[in-house]
Amino acid sequence: MKLKTLEQIIKNKSSKVEFAIVTNLQNGESEMFEPGKKLTGYFEKFQKEVENFFKSKKNGIIENSDIFVETYIRPIKVIIIGAVHIAQYLVDFAKSLNFEISVIDPRGYFATSQRFPDLKIINKWPDDAFKEIETNENTALIALTHDPKIDDPALQHALNKKFYYIGALGSKKTHENRCQRLKEAGFTDEQIKSIYGPIGIKLGGKSAPEIALSIIAQLVSETYNK
Amino acid sequence: MRNSFDEKILDEALDWVKTNQKVVLATVIQTWGSSPRQVGSRMIVNENGDFSGSVSGGCVETAVVRECIDLIKENKTCKKIEFKVSNESAWEVGLACGGEIAVYLEQVN
Repeated sequence: MKLKTLEQIIKNKSSKVEFAIVTNLQNGESEMFEPGKKLTGYFEKFQKEVENFFKSKKNGIIENSDIFVETYIRPIKVIIIGAVHIAQYLVDFAKSLNFEISVIDPRGYFATSQRFPDLKIINKWPDDAFKEIETNENTALIALTHDPKIDDPALQHALNKKFYYIGALGSKKTHENRCQRLKEAGFTDEQIKSIYGPIGIKLGGKSAPEIALSIIAQLVSETYNK
Repeated sequence: MRNSFDEKILDEALDWVKTNQKVVLATVIQTWGSSPRQVGSRMIVNENGDFSGSVSGGCVETAVVRECIDLIKENKTCKKIEFKVSNESAWEVGLACGGEIAVYLEQVN
């Protein structure tokens, strides 16, 4: 691989562009594919096959050829509500798993850079914060404050935008009350049931890193389920 | 749906190149049967045999490192190697799991 190609891959990854690298295994020559871009030279005749690999987000060798396609897709966006203790561990796990994290917390004393180095915390109420973040059905929400004033507007936004994973921290009782409030706000039973509450898979642990692990495990599992 | 559970091996490769190391990328390009790592999995190797990442569950990495050092020594651009099921004889390199993989080696130049 040419150094120039390697540099371009790193650049595209950091600017969250989706692309593929097409390599001729015979001689190591490669070219970058981006949606809408026409491949050139020897790669030209493989345009359709490369597009198919790209669409299905797969890596592999094009049948009956010596062309290898490697697709690069954007990391999933995960929005955490509450710059709390559990969130600090979640940020660490998410980094290894390559999730793209945003933390929202209107409480200034939680949302400090000293508690979350290298991470931009949006120190606003959820309704205002969501104006700054583009979200869609490929986004996940983890609500951790169990304060209805902060969590509820975020959960409502996530339900309206059909996030693929929505989880909320809190006991069974807290979650029942939350469901009741969402029902009163006009959400259907089906929508409300889609929220994971209490959040996380059952591991039995009670410490902050253990809870973070149970949440991130559920998130990864749902990422592959949908 | 799939997240890009990117192991950031290429990011590391670029860091190595920037510190004047010779780097070979070793990428799983094909698998048959129950191979431990999926297509696209990658490791990087420098001229001293230091490596990062993986192409199997530790089964063939040693052999890959050796091949990568040879590639640098012979100053070749690329090479394809295949690993099959290991046989009974001890210490033989192979995949104990019964799978087969093809690994593509290419120098960053």
